Amino acid sequence: MDVSFLMEVERRSQELDALDYFQVLRIERGSSPAEIKSAYYRESRAFHPDRFAAVESVELRNRIGRIYRRINEAYTVLRDDVKRQKYLAEVSGPERERKLRFTEAEETQVRQEQKQKMEEQFGLTPNGRKFYAAALKEVEAQRWDPAERAIKSALMYEPQNARFKELLALVERSKPKADPFKIR
Amino acid sequence: MSDEIAVGIDLGTSYSCVAAILDGTPQVLPNEWGERTHASVVSFLDDASVLVGNNAKKNIITNAENTVYSAKRLIGRFYFSDEVKKAQAVMPYRIVEGPNNSVRIGVRDRIFAVPEISALVLKEMKAIAETSLGREVKKAVVTCPAYFNDNQRQATKDAGRIAGLEVLRIINEPTAAALAYGFGKDISQRICVYDLGGGTFDVSILEIGKDVFEVLSTAGDTYLGGDDFDDRIMAWLADDFLKVHGLDLRQNKYCLQMLKEAGERAKIEVGRDGVAKIQVPGICRSPEGQVLDLVQTLQAEQFNRMVMDLVQRTFKVCDEALQSARLTAAEVDAVILVGGPTRLPIVRQSVRHYFQREPLTGIDPDEVVALGASIQAAALLDTGAAEAGQASYLLDVTPLSLRVATVGGYTERIIAKNTPIPIEKSKTFTTSRDGQDRVRIRVVQGESNRVEECELLGEFEFSDFRVGKRGDVQIEVTFEIDSNGIVNVSAMDLESRARATTTISLSSGLSEADIQTAIDKNAEVELAGHATA
Repeated sequence: MDVSFLMEVERRSQELDALDYFQVLRIERGSSPAEIKSAYYRESRAFHPDRFAAVESVELRNRIGRIYRRINEAYTVLRDDVKRQKYLAEVSGPERERKLRFTEAEETQVRQEQKQKMEEQFGLTPNGRKFYAAALKEVEAQRWDPAERAIKSALMYEPQNARFKELLALVERSKPKADPFKIR
Repeated sequence: MSDEIAVGIDLGTSYSCVAAILDGTPQVLPNEWGERTHASVVSFLDDASVLVGNNAKKNIITNAENTVYSAKRLIGRFYFSDEVKKAQAVMPYRIVEGPNNSVRIGVRDRIFAVPEISALVLKEMKAIAETSLGREVKKAVVTCPAYFNDNQRQATKDAGRIAGLEVLRIINEPTAAALAYGFGKDISQRICVYDLGGGTFDVSILEIGKDVFEVLSTAGDTYLGGDDFDDRIMAWLADDFLKVHGLDLRQNKYCLQMLKEAGERAKIEVGRDGVAKIQVPGICRSPEGQVLDLVQTLQAEQFNRMVMDLVQRTFKVCDEALQSARLTAAEVDAVILVGGPTRLPIVRQSVRHYFQREPLTGIDPDEVVALGASIQAAALLDTGAAEAGQASYLLDVTPLSLRVATVGGYTERIIAKNTPIPIEKSKTFTTSRDGQDRVRIRVVQGESNRVEECELLGEFEFSDFRVGKRGDVQIEVTFEIDSNGIVNVSAMDLESRARATTTISLSSGLSEADIQTAIDKNAEVELAGHATA
C-alpha cells in the first residue's frame, strides 16, 4: 500500500482526539450542508472500512475503523442544523478542549438542570409560584406577618421546595420577636 | 483474478437465493434442477438426512411435524414475544422454550436452536453454490431485513458460522437491492426501496451519488409480510367452510397446512390472473365419514378489500422513513420494489399512487437482494481496493435507537436511530456505593423511553476495576455498532485506563460453546436430494 497513505493513517489516529468535527471532515467551520455532505462522501471513499476489508493487518484495519467511526460521528452532528449551530458555538468557545465530541446526553442533562432551577426559583405549582411571589414582595417591604402567611401558604402546596423553606427561615429570623406575655 | 470466492445469500422468510459475481457480473446460481429461488423449508427425513428447498415444501403437508418453515420469523426472538405465541398457534412443528427465554424447535428427538435451522438453509445454499461453481465456497455475505434488531442480526450471523461459512458481512436487504440497482451505473438519485417480503416489511430511502450509496433512513415492520396476506385468505376460506359445513378447518394442523397452501396459491393466482379458483379435494372428513372438498372462487376485488389495511400499514412505515430522511414522496427519483408480494397489482397500484410515479420495472423482486449481496461479497474480498478504491461504498444506518435502562423502568438514548454505522459513543458511569466492584448495565433497542416497550439486548456486567469510595470510580462504557449493525459494549476505568472484564447475561443468543457444538452437528448432517458430490 501507498506509504504516504499509511503515514496519513498513523498521523490521523494520533491526532484524532484533538480534532473537532470540522477538522475530522477536513472542511471550514462555516461549511454549508451540501459541502458537509460532499466532504463526508470524500472521506468515506478514502477511509471506508470496506475498502480495507481484504487488508491483512488487523492493526491497520482497527486504526482505519476508529477514524471512520469518528467520521460518521462528525457527520451525524454536522448534518443536523440545530446540532451544528450548538457545536460550532461550543468549539469556538473557551471550553473547546472539553467539547470536541458532541454529547446529546449532556444536552438533556443541561435542559433538565435548567428546568429544575427554574422550578425551584418559581415553584412547581401555579399556587406555589403565586404565594412565593407574593411572599417575596412582602419581604421586600419588610412586612413580616403577611410575608410569613404567604410563604407558609406556598409551602402548603410544595412542602419539599428548598427555596421556599429558605425564605421561611429568613422571614422567621427577621420577624421582630413579639413577647406574648407583654401587656401593651 | 483472486483465487478466493464469496457468495451473496438472501436468507428469506419464505424463499432464499444465492448469487455470485461471475466474469464481472452478478448472477444468480441455480440448483441442479435450474431452480433459482429455494423455499426456506427444512424437512427432517426418516433416514436422518435433511431435505431443504422447494421439495421440502411439499413435506409441509405430508410430514408436517418434522418440517420447519418460516424459521426467520422466530430468529433472535424471546420465547415470551408475541411473534412466538402466534407461531405456536399455527406452526405444525414444536416450538419450545430454551435457556434464558430463548426459542427452541423440537423435531423428532432433537432440539434445535433457531439459528441451527437457518444454518441448514444456508448449508443448502452453500451446496447449491458449490455445485454450480464447481468449487468450495467458504465465505458469504448474508442479508437480513433492515429493521432487524441486534439479537436477530447476531443470530443470523451465528447461523452462517454454524453452516461452515465465514460471514463477511450482514447487510440490509433494501441496501443490497439498491446496490444491485445502482452498481456501475454512475447515477445520482434519491431512491426508495419498498421491500415487502414473506414475513417482514422494510423501506429504505437512499441517496446514490455515483459510487456512494448513502442510506438516509430506514423503517420497517418485522411483523408484516406476504404470509399475512395468505392468512387473510385462509381466514376467509375457513370461516366460509365453517358456515357451510359446521367444521373448523383450523382445529386440525393437517387441514390448516392444506388451507395455508391453498391460501398462498390463491394469492399468487389472483395477483396474476385477477381471479383464483380454489380447489382442495378431500380437505377433511365430516363426523359422518363424508369426505369434504374445499371449493371457492376469489375475485381480485374481494382480495383487495381483504388486504387493503395491510397495504395501508406499509405506507405508514413509508411516511416514517420519508420523515426521518426529511423528504416528501415527490422528492424520490425512483422506487424499487423487492419481494414476491410486490408482484400483486394491489401493491403496485398503491405504491404508484403513494409516490406519484411508476415503480421501476426490469428488476426481479426475488433475486435483486442476492445479487446485491454478491456485489458486496466480491468487494469485501477485493485486495486491490485498498490501493485503487472500491467500486461502491455502502453507508448504512442503524434502524433502531440504542438505549440503556435507567432507574424506575426508564431508558436513556445512547445512539439515535438512522445514525450512520459503524459508530461508537461513550458514556461515563459512576459507582453509587462504597467498595462497589461491579457495574451492571441493561442495554435495549427501541424508540420508547420505557424499558418494557424496548427489545432487550442483554445485561452487561463490568468488574475487575479499582474499588474505591462511591463516586470515586468512573467507568467509561463504550457502545459500538459495527458495520453489521451488531452492538458491542466494552468498559474502561477512566483513571487507570484499564479495561474492565465484561460478562453478558440475559441474552437470548448462543454461547461460543453452543455454536461450536452446532457447527459439528451441522457438518454431520447430510442434505437429501442432491447427486452425491
